[in-house]
Amino acid sequence: MFKNMLKRSFLSIKRKFGRTVILTLIFFMMANLVLAAFIIKSAVSAQMDYAKSTLGGTVSIQADMDSIRENQKTEMEKGGDPREMFKEMARPSVDVNTANEIATNYSDYVRDYSYSVSTSANSNNLETVETKSNGGGMQMPGGFGGADGKSSSSSSTALDTDITISGVNAYAYIDGVKNESMTIKDGSYFDEDSTDKALISYEFAELNGLSVGDTFTLKNAYTEAEVSLTVIGIYDTSEERADANTIYMNTETAAKFLSTEDYNNGNYNVDNVNFYMTNSDKAEEFVSKINSDYTSLAENNLKVAVDTSEYDSISGSIESVGGFANTILIIVIIAAIIIVTLIVMINVKDRRYEIGVLMSLGASKKNVIGQIIAELIIVGTLGFILASATGTVFAGTLGKSIVDSQTASSNSQQEKNFGRPGASSSSKGSNSGMPEMPTEGSDSGAKNMKTKMAENRNNKKVELDINAKVEDYLLLFITGYLVIIVALILPSISIMRYQPKEILAGKE
Amino acid sequence: MNTLKVENLSYSYQNASGTQKVLDDVNAEFKAGKMYAIVGESGSGKTTLLSLISALDKLQDGDIKYNSKSLKRISGQEFRLKYVNIVFQSYNLIKYMTARENVEVASDFDGRKVDPDKYLSKVGISSEEGRRLIGKLSGGQQQRVAIARALASNSPIIMADEPTGNLDEDTEEKIIEIFKELAHKENKIVIIVTHSRQVANKADKVLTLRRGKLS
Repeated sequence: MFKNMLKRSFLSIKRKFGRTVILTLIFFMMANLVLAAFIIKSAVSAQMDYAKSTLGGTVSIQADMDSIRENQKTEMEKGGDPREMFKEMARPSVDVNTANEIATNYSDYVRDYSYSVSTSANSNNLETVETKSNGGGMQMPGGFGGADGKSSSSSSTALDTDITISGVNAYAYIDGVKNESMTIKDGSYFDEDSTDKALISYEFAELNGLSVGDTFTLKNAYTEAEVSLTVIGIYDTSEERADANTIYMNTETAAKFLSTEDYNNGNYNVDNVNFYMTNSDKAEEFVSKINSDYTSLAENNLKVAVDTSEYDSISGSIESVGGFANTILIIVIIAAIIIVTLIVMINVKDRRYEIGVLMSLGASKKNVIGQIIAELIIVGTLGFILASATGTVFAGTLGKSIVDSQTASSNSQQEKNFGRPGASSSSKGSNSGMPEMPTEGSDSGAKNMKTKMAENRNNKKVELDINAKVEDYLLLFITGYLVIIVALILPSISIMRYQPKEILAGKE
Repeated sequence: MNTLKVENLSYSYQNASGTQKVLDDVNAEFKAGKMYAIVGESGSGKTTLLSLISALDKLQDGDIKYNSKSLKRISGQEFRLKYVNIVFQSYNLIKYMTARENVEVASDFDGRKVDPDKYLSKVGISSEEGRRLIGKLSGGQQQRVAIARALASNSPIIMADEPTGNLDEDTEEKIIEIFKELAHKENKIVIIVTHSRQVANKADKVLTLRRGKLS
């Protein structure tokens, strides 16, 4: 009987060709809209994952000022020594081994990390570039967190601590590199293996007649530590606030300017410790793990703080697109149910006579409804297949344009915040917006970036697939069939209420 | 012997002027192997009686039994599938099907397989005509296809509502002969509702409906 039912369905579809074409077109259009919504949803989901991986949030270890103030208050009440209290107020730091250990132990969470060592030095043989703020005087360390003072071409004799030593674990985290204001005029950037290598400003080099490969000696006025440095590169900067007297190097080299006590056999303290998350969703979990595994941080008045503002800022717009896609999907599905219901009701009304005849011949109501379902499923399948063929073009184009605009916005955020040269993870894996390394030094740039995290990051290319996927097609067919079944509820009720005599009498 | 009994059958319609009784305590017995004609004026209740016997409508009062099986105890769909087939005045053929396919539909729901040409040829429809869509056949041909469909059914009861209304005299004669054969040779109960005195005269028994009463 099922075979006969299918046979009648096929006959009806074949012989009522005009109706079949119209129904197929309606299903085709509905399916295209549904597919577009699925593609957008899928693109948005991919974009969210992309944003999570690129703007995964930052976890930083910083001074717990509340805790410090509380301790001071307690000490004051106990009549403590104000000098000791002043020492307490000094900005707490993390030792480098702890920072490295956290990054290594939690590599599942940490995409990359940065820290810095800042100190100062002077030289009897070198002149410093006179800036508006220093006038040849002392500079506060600021290479990593933001250089101070505007440089000028005039000079003064180096006095005391005119030169800022800025040690960074990866040159990508120098402010000038991040905001693209810094360019290499000669030589290359340093890397982790560039021991005793320094990156000096163009003005400083000009003033002192230094070029790549030259060696000069600097001395920390306070610690008496003396370090001989070789120029690895000469940078220029378009940043007005940049301090031309800042010399950049890796943290190992910078730490040599510390006192023996502070150097602490290589376990020196580092500042501005930031861990960049692989996924912003994992940031809180990462923080709780650090807090439980490294209780000494809290004891030393340090706290672990999460900053997912970059991800949050872009995720809002992506989520709004996702919400838009959801709205489209809901509207399209409701519209499809209404339209298909109306079509089926009209169809059932038109076929009252046929239904009556079949019932008079002994057909059950289930059999009659089954025939109509079979017809709609066959025609719907035709429409869905056509939509699958063209939906990639139509809906895919729509999804792509939305994702592209979001990607551009995400990349902009990512470059502003993380722009490590050679490690950009834009959708095409390009190095967009990153400072290019000089040809000679290119190999020693990104390729020699031996930090495991940095290599992981270099290798990571997020491919955004905004084309319709197998799951989208599968969802389209499932949704389509569900729409047909839901749309058949009302017409089926009306068929169930039919008495053949009423139908046939109506006809007659 | 297969017997169809109509027992104390009454039927009323509700309309604007109140309740109108169409059938009033009708009793009848139809036996296999005989052709019956039910005649009566327009509005006498002929089609209502046919609808009730065919299980196209629900019983109100009274009962219809086929071999003691009450229509009250089985569903109308089962009764139509197993016991009765109807030839409608307006043919009631499915328009997107050919004549052959319309005849085949008669066996769609009982699992049998029939040779439509065998039944179409009985009513004078050629094999070539049988392959035409219903709309391509004349009224008379369509009526014959409807009769062929009834022939193709396995039902012991054949009900026909004005089956010759659209046929010329020769064809009418032929069709009536077929109905008689169905009754006499295939031992079916054939009940024809008609206005035609000529058709009624050829029946084995004529029943007249007058003001809802059968005599």
